[in-house]
Amino acid sequence: MMPVERLLIEFLLTFLSRDELNAFLRSPQNTATLVGALIAVSGALLGAFLLLRGMALTSDAISHTVLLGIVVAFLLMVHGFRVEGDTSSPWLILGASLAGVGTVALTELLYRSGLVRQDAALGLAFPLLFAIAVILVSRFVDDAHLDEDAVLVGEIGLAWANTNSHCFQNCQSVTVTEDHPAAKMTRQCVNCRELGISPRDERAEFIEVCGNCGPYSPAQAWNAGLLDSEPALVFFPKSISVTLAMTLLTLAFVLLFYKELKLSTFDPALAKALGFRPGALNYALMALVSLVAVGAFDAVGSILVIAFFIIPPAAACLLTDRLALLLLLSPLIGAAGAVFGYDLARGLLFGFLPIADGIAFVNRLFGLDLVEEWDSSISASMVLMIFLFFLLAWVFSPRYGLISTALRRANSRRLFDDQVVLAHIHNHQFTAQAATELRVETLHLHFRWTQRKMGRVLARLRALNYIRIVSGGAILTERGEERVHRFRATMLEAHNMPASLA
Amino acid sequence: MNPRPALGREDRRIWLIIAAMAILGLLFIPFSQTLFGLRFTYTVRVVALGGAILGIISGALGCFAVLRQESLLGDALSHAALPGVAIAFLLAGRELSALLIGAGIASWLGLRFVSALLATTRIKRDAALGIVLASWFAFGIALLAYIQSIPDASQAGLDHFIFGQAAAIIESDVMLVSAVGVIALLVLLAFWKEFKLVTFDAEFAGANGFRVGLINTLLSTLIVVTIVLGLQLAGVILMVGMLIAPGIAARQWTHKLDQMVILAAVFGAFAGGLGAVISALDSDIPTGPMIIVVAFVLVLISLTLAPGRGLIWSRLRQRQNRREFAARNTLRDLYRYALAHGAADTPAPDSFIRGVGDRSAALGLRQLRSEGRVTLGAAGWQLSESGISLAQGDRRNQRLWDLYRRYAYELGLPAVAEERGRDIASLLPANAVARLEAKLEEGADS
Repeated sequence: MMPVERLLIEFLLTFLSRDELNAFLRSPQNTATLVGALIAVSGALLGAFLLLRGMALTSDAISHTVLLGIVVAFLLMVHGFRVEGDTSSPWLILGASLAGVGTVALTELLYRSGLVRQDAALGLAFPLLFAIAVILVSRFVDDAHLDEDAVLVGEIGLAWANTNSHCFQNCQSVTVTEDHPAAKMTRQCVNCRELGISPRDERAEFIEVCGNCGPYSPAQAWNAGLLDSEPALVFFPKSISVTLAMTLLTLAFVLLFYKELKLSTFDPALAKALGFRPGALNYALMALVSLVAVGAFDAVGSILVIAFFIIPPAAACLLTDRLALLLLLSPLIGAAGAVFGYDLARGLLFGFLPIADGIAFVNRLFGLDLVEEWDSSISASMVLMIFLFFLLAWVFSPRYGLISTALRRANSRRLFDDQVVLAHIHNHQFTAQAATELRVETLHLHFRWTQRKMGRVLARLRALNYIRIVSGGAILTERGEERVHRFRATMLEAHNMPASLA
Repeated sequence: MNPRPALGREDRRIWLIIAAMAILGLLFIPFSQTLFGLRFTYTVRVVALGGAILGIISGALGCFAVLRQESLLGDALSHAALPGVAIAFLLAGRELSALLIGAGIASWLGLRFVSALLATTRIKRDAALGIVLASWFAFGIALLAYIQSIPDASQAGLDHFIFGQAAAIIESDVMLVSAVGVIALLVLLAFWKEFKLVTFDAEFAGANGFRVGLINTLLSTLIVVTIVLGLQLAGVILMVGMLIAPGIAARQWTHKLDQMVILAAVFGAFAGGLGAVISALDSDIPTGPMIIVVAFVLVLISLTLAPGRGLIWSRLRQRQNRREFAARNTLRDLYRYALAHGAADTPAPDSFIRGVGDRSAALGLRQLRSEGRVTLGAAGWQLSESGISLAQGDRRNQRLWDLYRRYAYELGLPAVAEERGRDIASLLPANAVARLEAKLEEGADS
C-alpha cells in the first residue's frame, strides 16, 4: 500500500506544492468529502447491479455480517497477534470481506433447506450476526476506534487525522539507543513483583531501562524533536487510500466485466447457456460488495453504508432506462450527496441555506425553544442528501416522475374524453335521434358526466375546430370527421382488424 | 358449515408440547435461581416481566410478519422508528408515551412511503425497504447528533433506543407496554378470521367481499405498534429479531395458525424475559443483541428438533424411506427369482441378489432379515412364509394398480393419485376394489 500511496503523492506533487497538498489533506472537510464521494462512487456502481438483480437488501445483509468479521479480526489482531488494532489494515479488510461472502453462501444454504423462507433467513441470520458483533464490541473491545458509536455512524469527520506519513526530502530515520543523547533512562526494579517487596527494600535489584528507545520514522523523529531540520513530509489519510483503492477496483471490475454483468443481470439463463458462469460472477460481485462495506466501515459505519448502495441507483433508475447511463448517473448522485452532505452536517443546506433559520422558523411556528445551531453527524447527513436527491428524482423525473406521470395521465384522460364525445356525435349525427342525442344542454346526461365537465370538453373541441354547434345540437366539422376516421383507422390497425371496417 | 372436527391426535400432541414448553419456561425462574444464583431483585423482576410481556406480544403478531414474508418489512420499520423518537424528544421531552407515539408515527410514515414508492415507481420492494431503512435511520442519527450537541439537554438514555437497554425500564413502562399490548392482542383476536384469510389467500378474501386493503393496513399498523413497544427493550436495530424469531421457531412445530401464534408467544416470552434479565445483570451488554441470541438458540433448537419438519426428523424419515424402498425392491427381486427357478421358496444365491453391487440390496436384505422375511441358507437367500405372503400381497397390489391405471376411466372408478407404495384398498372404496379384483380374475392383466 505504502509505495502506491507514495507514487500517487509524487504524481500530485507535480501539480501542487507540498504545503498546498498538506493543507488540503489536513482540512477535515476535504478529506471527509473525498472519502464520502469515493465510497458513494464504488457503492453506487455495485448497487446498480444489485438493484437490477433484485438483491438490494443483500447489501444490508452483507454490511451486517461484515461487522462481525471486522470485530473478530480486530479482536484477533489485538489479543491474538498483539498488534495495534487498526480497522483500515488490509488484512482485516480481506478477512472481513471473506466473512461477508461466506455468510451470503450460508444463508443460501439455510433457505435451500426449505425450512425457512428467504426473507426470514435474511431477517434472522443477519440481525443475529450483528447482535453477536455488538455484544463483542460492548463487552470485550475497549478502544476508541471501535465502539458502538463507530458501528453506527463511523468517523468520517476524523478521517483526516489517521494518516500515513511520507517523507520526500531531508529524510532521516533515527534509531534511539541507550547511549543516544535523547534517550530517557529510568530505573526499574526487576524482582520486586516476584518477591512482593517494595522498591525501597534492600533486596531490590534494579536495571536501567530506556523509555523511548526504538526506531523512529522521519515524521515521528521530527515530532519527538530528534531532528534539527524539518523533513519534507506529506501526511496522507489512510481512509483516502483505502477508499480510493476499492473505488478503482470496483471501476476496473465493472469496466472489464461490463458485458458479462449486463448479460447475467438481465438474462441469467442466456448467460449460462452461452458459458459465462453467472454464478461465479455473482460471487465476485458479492465479494466486492463485502470489500466496499468493510472499506467504508471506518468512515460511515455498518448501517448507513447500505444507503450508498441502494439509494443512488434507485434515484438513477427513475431517470434513465439505459444501463450505461445508470452506471454514470448513480455515482454522480452519490458523490453529490457526499459533497453537499458535509455542508448539511455543518448546518448549510446545499452550501448556502442555513438550517438554523429553519429551526428558528419551527421555533416561531410552534412556540418551541430549540437550539438554533445545527451540528450533526456527517455520514448521516450525506445519506440524507442522497435521499433528498432521490426525492427530487422521484418528483421531477421527466419520464417516471410524479409530476410527469400526473401530467401524462391528465393528458390521456383528456384525449379519451375528446374521443368518446367525438365518437358519440359521429354515431348519432344525421340520424333520427340526433335532436335528442346531440342537444348541447342534455349531452352530459348521456355520459353521466357533470354539466361542467361536458362544457369543458365541448369548449375544447370547439376551440380545436372539431365540432360546431348548429341550432343547439353538436355536429362534427370536416376536421372533426377526419379526426374520427383517423382514430378509427389507427384503432383498427392496433387491433389487427381489416381497414374495410372503417 | 361443517361441524367442528374432533381434536385430532396430531393436534393434541402439539397442544401438549406447547403446554410443556410454557411450563418449562416458567420453571426456568426457580431453576435459574438455584443453579446460577440469579437473584430476582425488584429491578430484575420488572425487567424480566417487561421482556416477557413484550415477547408475548411480538411473538404473537410476528407470526403474521413471518407468514406474509414480511420479515424484512419489520426490519425496515423498526429502523424507521428512530427519527420519531428524536423528534418526540425535541418536542415533548423524555416522556416514554410521547417517545413511543413519535416512533409509531415515523415508522408508519415509513410504511406509507414504501407503499407510495411501490405504487408510483418501478422500484422493487426490497429496494424500497432499503431506501426507507437507510434514510429514516440516517435522519434519526442526525437528529440524535443534534440533540447531543445541545449543551444542557438531558438526553441521557435516548441512545438506548438504538440497541435497547433493559436496565432503564421501570414499572410504569411495563404498565404502559402491557396496556397497549393487551389492546393490540384484543384487536388481533377480534379480527382473527380476517387476518388469517388475508394472510393465506388475499385474493379469495377480496373475492368474498373482505376489504383486503383495509385489513392489510390494520395488520401492518399492529406490527408497527408491536415494534414501537419493543423499542426501549430491544432497540431499533434488532427489534426485528424479537418480532420474527419466535414466529420462525414456532412455525417448525405446527401447521396450524392458532397453535403457531400461541407457541410463538411462549417462545417470545422466554426469549424476551431471559435476554432482558441477562443484559440487566451486566450493563455492558445491550438488551437487543442478547434477546436475539436467546431467540436464535430457540430457532436453532426448533429447526433441528421439531417433530415432522425438523432437520433430525426429516433425516430420520429419509433413512426410513430409503430402507423401506430397498426392502421392497429386494423382496420383489427375490420373489421373481424364486418363481423363475421353481417354487416361491427357492433360495436365490447371494451373488445374484448383491450382483449389481449397489448398497441398496445390502440395506434391503438387512432390513428383510431383521423382519424375519428372509433367511440365509447354504444355497442363498430363502423367503420365509411371511416373506412369501408379503411378496404375493405386494404383487397383487401392483397388478391392481396396473389395472386401475388401464381401466379406471372405463369402469368409472373415482380418481385418486397413484401411490403404488400403498395398498390400493386403503385409497379406493371397497366396491371399486372389488371391480378391479373381478378384472384380475378375468385375467385382464396378462
